[in-house]
Amino acid sequence: MASIEWVKKYRPNALSEIVGNKKAVESLKKWAEEWQNGIPDKKGIILHGQAGIGKTSAAHALASDLGWETIEMNASDQRTASIIEKIAGSASQMSSLTGTSSKRLIILDEADNMHGNADRGGKRAIGNIIKNTDQPILLIANDLYSMTTSIRSLCEVVKFNTIQSRSMIPALKNICVEEDIMCGVGVIEKIAEISGGDLRSAVKDLQAAAIGRSEINVEDVTTAERDTKESIFKVLAKIFKSTDPVAALHATYSLDETPEDLIQWIDENLPIQYQEGKEGIDSDIIQGYRNLSRADIYLGRVKKRQNYRLWRYAGILMTCGTVTAKSHIHRGFVKYQPPSIWRKMGQLRAKRNMRDNVASKIGQHCHKPIQQTRIELIKMYGMMLKDEDYAVNVTTNLKLDVDEIVFLTGGKKVTKKIQKIYDSARLQIEETASSDINVFFKTGKNDKGQMKKQTGFDQIPDNATSNAMIDKIGDTSTPTRQKKKPQKTLFDF
Amino acid sequence: MKEEIWIEKYRPFKLDDVVGQSESIERLKSYVKTGNLPHLLFSGPPGVGKTATAVSIARELYGEGWRENFTELNASDERGIDVVRTKIKSFAKTSPLGDADFKIIFLDEADALTSDAQAALRRTMERYTNNCRFILSCNYSSKIIEPIQSRCAVYRFRPLSDAAVEQRCRYVAEKEGLQIADDGFEAIKYVAQGDMRKAINALQAASMFETTVHRDNIYKITATAHPEDILEILKTALEGKFMPARKKLDVLMTQQGLSGEDVVGQIYRAAFDLDILPKQMVDLMDVIGEIDFRLTEGADERIQLDALLAHFALSGEE
Ligand SMILES: Nc1ncnc2c1ncn2[C@@H]1O[C@H](COP(=O)(O)OP(=O)(O)OP(=O)(O)O)[C@@H](O)[C@H]1O
Ligand SMILES: Nc1ncnc2c1ncn2[C@@H]1O[C@H](COP(=O)(O)OP(=O)(O)OP(=O)(O)O)[C@@H](O)[C@H]1O
Ligand SMILES: [Mg+2]
Ligand SMILES: [Mg+2]
Repeated sequence: MASIEWVKKYRPNALSEIVGNKKAVESLKKWAEEWQNGIPDKKGIILHGQAGIGKTSAAHALASDLGWETIEMNASDQRTASIIEKIAGSASQMSSLTGTSSKRLIILDEADNMHGNADRGGKRAIGNIIKNTDQPILLIANDLYSMTTSIRSLCEVVKFNTIQSRSMIPALKNICVEEDIMCGVGVIEKIAEISGGDLRSAVKDLQAAAIGRSEINVEDVTTAERDTKESIFKVLAKIFKSTDPVAALHATYSLDETPEDLIQWIDENLPIQYQEGKEGIDSDIIQGYRNLSRADIYLGRVKKRQNYRLWRYAGILMTCGTVTAKSHIHRGFVKYQPPSIWRKMGQLRAKRNMRDNVASKIGQHCHKPIQQTRIELIKMYGMMLKDEDYAVNVTTNLKLDVDEIVFLTGGKKVTKKIQKIYDSARLQIEETASSDINVFFKTGKNDKGQMKKQTGFDQIPDNATSNAMIDKIGDTSTPTRQKKKPQKTLFDF
Repeated sequence: MKEEIWIEKYRPFKLDDVVGQSESIERLKSYVKTGNLPHLLFSGPPGVGKTATAVSIARELYGEGWRENFTELNASDERGIDVVRTKIKSFAKTSPLGDADFKIIFLDEADALTSDAQAALRRTMERYTNNCRFILSCNYSSKIIEPIQSRCAVYRFRPLSDAAVEQRCRYVAEKEGLQIADDGFEAIKYVAQGDMRKAINALQAASMFETTVHRDNIYKITATAHPEDILEILKTALEGKFMPARKKLDVLMTQQGLSGEDVVGQIYRAAFDLDILPKQMVDLMDVIGEIDFRLTEGADERIQLDALLAHFALSGEE
């Protein structure tokens, strides 16, 4: 009866077991080696990429390979500035006390999912910890761009790619051998294809098909495609290539995309597909955009009125309308692109949040409402920040952080000059009001005392979990592959 | 007993009672049989059996005391990021009761969770799988972040086929000692559009008027015009006979007390069945949508529907 999740059972325990992503793994190793020999230039590292491709696994495998302790914080934990400082901050400063040469790897998983409110100040705290740490810090994210520029600039950035079928298939076959499962022709290939490069979901689907069976045939693979790029490509091909509008419409139903997302895909690829590298503009594009813009009007109406019934017209106009816009077949092969607007929007949103934060800081300082501040004063302060005489004082008064200085001065990244302004301002703040600012790094002694007081398991703050805790609570069902290294718990800090 | 609502009375309580989703149900049955349940994501339109399936799984796994190990949270419960990090996490952590291997957390309407709250589920779902399995249900899986989809076996629930709707309605009718005429079935299937909740509700409503359910009552109760009448009106308009079409529609609406929005919805459905060019269909759909929108904005239904028919007449001439 006991049920074991294969994704757990077959989680790589060593870097050598990570499927694919050789280059990423090499970079990770190199960075870790630098830590073995001193303190590297970039004290943090960011692993980023799509879901289910081995980022979290690689982080823990690295630690296990090198015999490092780990301490992990993730989006299931609350991560305000003070919690991060307490857990990760103190962990990053402890080596001098224990005196061992072994390292402690601080893993901040799901680092792109810091919540604005519930995790207030968390991003800033991470930046500070990376700057001051004497232990390796590893951040994991799906979306690199939702992390602040200053965090990115402090870290080595390593991209994990989706897993190619040719690497995935042997890995899945291996599991079948271990589990004594016979697979019919094409089963593994189908699962690999459905997964869209996400190895976790492939392993999931394999198990989902295998439960209660000793033999799997293609028709037994009944779990659906997830909403990955793979499935949308097929639907786009139907829309741009076929002449049957209703068939195209039905294809979009199987996709489960909202029309709001789908229209972005069509918009991105319509001109590429219908232009076919011609001179001038193909009239099919004009017709296509006529329908697409009508579809867009319906989307706007849905948004404004929350009347979801109108979605159906948007759906028809964007799919059927794009099909019927063709006056002739467009044969050229086009590699469909994901909407570039999404990446830009992510950046735009970050920028907007930043602007509002800064505006509210200025507003508080000048006793002005945010709206007014936005227009007039942001420019003004930007100019003042470029002037060395003013810069430090402005930064001090508004309590700006580095990213905000970058934003106000219209720059792209943290320059030496900005860093200097910021550091001088911090000094000034500390001098004038050393009593009322947060001390970022509590001394080891303090923390030790604090942690030691906690005796029972349940009293451990929910906010951090070391490997030892994971072992006790979660991993007991990993029968074939035990975690090797005994790891210290929070008690030992 | 009479006032009991049938959608609850006939809520499936084992997987075999869930009709029309046979592929998924077969697989889910073997999960129950082996006691081995991956995290699941059910996605699909309303009233097709997602909640019913999740509850059936729990009942079959745990038997009588199923509620002890089954927790349901829907959109009306507080489910912000804090709740995910505290309440849901601690529920996931603690051991199941009795001799169950694990418990089930059912997050109904999971697409209503913010993406931050979803992100907060990720490691919780990975870590406590020994204690706890998640079943998520949603109308649009694209609103579920990829990392969560990656952690689940995804099952898509489709709008129910006419055959499935009929099968279940037959069953309910039999239990209730009710007859359904052939045209009654046709009408139920037309108004349900693959939504079993709608079908059973219509059936129950009709049962209050007659012991053999006919189409007239089904259409009347659900404020629906006969689909042939709508089709007839549109064809007349397409032939350029605007005045007769307008008259027919007028009679239909006053006699049956239909609302403009209901009629537009039916015109939308009928437009797929018209014998017209694809391009023409797209253009007419745009007109229908425009009229639909104006009605929701409070425009006069007579004027708007007349305008709609005029468009059809014009389109037929071109
Ligand atoms: N590259 C890989 N090599 C071997 N197994 C993998 C790999 N990627 C994913 N897996 C399988 O998928 C499971 C989940 O992988 P992991 O937790 O590392 O994904 P992730 O990249 O951190 O995803 P997410 O962004 O969703 O957190 C692993 O337990 C393992 O079974
Ligand atoms: N496939 C089905 N087989 C039998 N009865 C069904 C089926 N689908 C729905 N029903 C009936 O409709 C009622 C509502 O179904 P259910 O709550 O499962 O819908 P749902 O898919 O969860 O919809 P929603 O998206 O609105 O939550 C059930 O109580 C049951 O009576
Ligand atoms: Mg991960
Ligand atoms: Mg439901």
